[in-house]
Amino acid sequence: MIAQRRPVQKYLWVGFFLFPSLAGLLVFLITPMLASLALTFYEWDPLIPTHFTFVGMENYLTLIKDADFWSALGHTLYFIIGYIPLVLVTGLAVALLMNQKLIGRTFFRGAFFMPVISAWVAVALMWTWIFNPKFGIVNYLLGLIGITGPAWLYDPNWAMPAIILTSVWKDTGFIMVLFLSSLQSIPQEYYEAASLDGANGWAKFRYITLPLLSPTLFFTLIISLINSFQVFDQVWIMTQGGPAGSTSVLVEQIVNNSFRYGRMGYAATLSWVLFLIVFVVTMIQTRMQKNWVTYD
Amino acid sequence: MTESRLHELNKPLGKVLLYILLIVSGAVMIVPFAWMASTSLKSGEYVLTMPPQWIPDPATLDSYRRLFELYPIGRMLLNSLFVAGLTTLGQLITCSMAAYAFARLKFRGHNMVFFLYLATLMVPFQVTITPLFILMRIFGWINTYQGLILPGVFSAFGTFLLRQAFMTIPTEYEEAAYMDGASPLTIFMQIILPLSKPALATLSVFAFMGSWNSFMWPLFIVREETLMTLPVGLATLQGRWLTEWNLVMAGAVITVLPMLLLYLVAQKYLIQGYVMSGLKG
Amino acid sequence: MSTKSVFVRLSTLLMILSVLLAACAPAAPTATAEPEVITNTIVVTATPGPVEPAEPVEITYYTFSAAPDHVEQLDQMIQLFEAAHPNIKVKVETAPFDEYFTKLQTLIAGGTAPDVFELNYENFVTYADKGVLLDLSPMMKADTTLNPEVYSERANSAFSYNGMQLGLPATFSTVMLYYNKDLFDQAGVEYPTADWTWSDAVEAGKKLNDPANGVWSLYSGVQFWEFYKKAAQNNCRFFNDDKTEVLINSPECVEALQTMVDMVKTDKVVPSAADMGGQSDGDMFMAGKLAMDVTGIWMFSAYKDAPFQWDVTVEPGMANKATHFFANGVSAFAATKHAQEAYEWIKFFTSDPEMANIRIASGWELPALKDPTLFEDYLSQTPPDNRQAVIDSLEFAVVPPVIVRQSEMQDGINKLLEQVMLDQLTPQEALDQAKTLLEELIK
Repeated sequence: MIAQRRPVQKYLWVGFFLFPSLAGLLVFLITPMLASLALTFYEWDPLIPTHFTFVGMENYLTLIKDADFWSALGHTLYFIIGYIPLVLVTGLAVALLMNQKLIGRTFFRGAFFMPVISAWVAVALMWTWIFNPKFGIVNYLLGLIGITGPAWLYDPNWAMPAIILTSVWKDTGFIMVLFLSSLQSIPQEYYEAASLDGANGWAKFRYITLPLLSPTLFFTLIISLINSFQVFDQVWIMTQGGPAGSTSVLVEQIVNNSFRYGRMGYAATLSWVLFLIVFVVTMIQTRMQKNWVTYD
Repeated sequence: MTESRLHELNKPLGKVLLYILLIVSGAVMIVPFAWMASTSLKSGEYVLTMPPQWIPDPATLDSYRRLFELYPIGRMLLNSLFVAGLTTLGQLITCSMAAYAFARLKFRGHNMVFFLYLATLMVPFQVTITPLFILMRIFGWINTYQGLILPGVFSAFGTFLLRQAFMTIPTEYEEAAYMDGASPLTIFMQIILPLSKPALATLSVFAFMGSWNSFMWPLFIVREETLMTLPVGLATLQGRWLTEWNLVMAGAVITVLPMLLLYLVAQKYLIQGYVMSGLKG
Repeated sequence: MSTKSVFVRLSTLLMILSVLLAACAPAAPTATAEPEVITNTIVVTATPGPVEPAEPVEITYYTFSAAPDHVEQLDQMIQLFEAAHPNIKVKVETAPFDEYFTKLQTLIAGGTAPDVFELNYENFVTYADKGVLLDLSPMMKADTTLNPEVYSERANSAFSYNGMQLGLPATFSTVMLYYNKDLFDQAGVEYPTADWTWSDAVEAGKKLNDPANGVWSLYSGVQFWEFYKKAAQNNCRFFNDDKTEVLINSPECVEALQTMVDMVKTDKVVPSAADMGGQSDGDMFMAGKLAMDVTGIWMFSAYKDAPFQWDVTVEPGMANKATHFFANGVSAFAATKHAQEAYEWIKFFTSDPEMANIRIASGWELPALKDPTLFEDYLSQTPPDNRQAVIDSLEFAVVPPVIVRQSEMQDGINKLLEQVMLDQLTPQEALDQAKTLLEELIK
């Protein structure tokens, strides 16, 4: 497209468009990131800010031997495996629904987005109640079909599922909005032409909707993965990592080490190992996108 | 013949089931807010009864009144609006420009730079917040609007979102414009942006929301009441020993309403797909 | 609507907002009510020392206990103080307790620490050990008007470290046994007395339990704070005197823990976390669903409007009595530029009789002062009637075990206790693991 222009001019344009964003990123995001990377090789207590102790790779070695890190990693992966498929499927399903001509569509779209715009503080309290072993709705409904519900947030085996369900509830609207804007831009003519050729609902979805949605799907998947590796707020508020550490996740470990134990160097190390994991996962995804994402 | 008859039968039944499903899911989404609003209207300090009481009796606006007495709600609301508004504007401008560079001005190493952007999403902010704070100290921006706003303006998420959106716009329009000698800036402003309204509206909503609900950064950087935003200002409602939940919920309702309004307004743009009249894909 | 006009509208909106903000900018920080009385009997503060600068010095005071209910009282105190010290201005900064230390740490890391800040005893040792706090002893010695005897000794020593006075105590509190008289009357059980042991409590509890109405007899959490106290009631401590040895897994401690666990699991007089399901003990007590509650005196104002009769007594013991002693103190930042002014404020805020009266009258915690006349007012307020028990409790007070790596210790022990409650560990196993953990932490 622009290849026809002279290279210098092209790079000037690139510079013009990229500069504000990149400059800001470098100053406000990348500099602190690099600082934290440097920190991984030190012991640094923020209460004694001028005092840095170089420890080389010691933080990384401690991490490998840290049982809390491994269990936090495990719990985080558990969360991701439970949460991502659920939230993407529900979000997509809801977006498809909201794309139809339905009565009260605006109301429903608002309804689905409400959980997204609220802060966890208010929402978490309600969900603690919904999952209340004795009086909560969930166990009440289960009781109606003859199942005695578990103690949910107070049971180490069921606390994470409860958190997953709450997170899906909260984020479905977010995914819905992401999909909706691209669903809207699929021209009706495609569907009409397909109908004329005798395609049914499923075929339309498979051969028109899905491929045209694939860039958004790719984007949503990557963003959701990156975010869910860093899950924190709901865990902090609903279970504080309990009961008995069964919902302890990586960022919770990072926050504890940074802000409660005064071990910023170690917290930084945890963060950068987390970064590494997320980076690898994202790279794999990006490579794979060539197989299934279409832009035209 | 029979097939189409069956089709006819399924249609209304399918629709009914669909509506039931929708109403149930909608209820699931809204019920917690109904409870939140109902709690905010309850009187008395101990509002957490088991099993939960749905209709406040007596219902009172007392919590809201007390909230306005205890806190400069008007000021905090203005601050939140100002900060979130500027952040959104900043994101719209910087992210769309960068996204255009990534989507259309393919340059050498653009993949690497893009990965750099993505990388900024992968380190938890809880760990970069302290070095960032120290950086703000060095700039002398502690307790200032620029210190409060600027770090939130530069977003890899926004850039990524818009990049994807721009990449799905067919290039035919632009090619015609290039033939006519249009500059990248003209194309950006007159073709790409207008065709991306849903994505821009989406980003606006998310950018605003992220800034509006932001807690930790304002907590650190704001040192006096005149700059306080809603989430930080209202956080002291959760006392060390005792929390008056009806006040907390009243605060939550006040905090949520502007966001809801924004979303309803943005809906208009979200709904509007781009019109491809006269051009076959 | 074209992109351009959207942009124009947005910018206009923002400009309007900025104008609004600018117009409001010079507004005073807090809308304070004029104090009704400004007494003239201000504490004399002609302190010798450096010549007071002509321009007022501004010091920041960072606190968690003032907002949201006692901001007015704090403002009153500041007005009194500034009237007596025209050259010092006090600027208040608040944060909710849960985020208080996170922010304080960040402020210190960024080199923008407040001049004076509140600390609770549990965090004090950590801050003291790292050289963050200013030694107040030189200024105290030079101050001829200060009588260090005004402070309660226990509270005062809580804030000294390695022979330096790194803070002064502002308030103290203790934990009592609260009981719902109506529920006791209904079940025909005699009210608790100061001589009760936990077996007495359990026995009464069994009669007070009313599962049909969702009523539990007793609440006493199985967590760090309750555990070290119950251990002390059974003659057991976490560490030896100079904290070189860990004693947490001794038989007496195991026994104490077992008693706590039994109250929930065997005797079933205490609800488990699952039984409470998100409600706090305070919620349950106020709702009349809890006959006895073990909680702090800070709940007096919260329980004031309870729809039933209630009172307090000294907490039950085991082999002997032990009660909680909590203290909040105020310290100055070691590198503050206004050491003398910071000291003046700290002294006023912790020992001034006017300040103490304001505190007691408004129910904002108890000052850590020995003067019995101050407490006359406190003791005469009701409910509860038996406020004397608060003073009595102090006889048996034990201080929390505090080490530099306090948060790690608390988190670790809490997690082990949770595992015991989930039947994942026996008390002995948990305390054996605790010993290993603590030995690691005190290295």
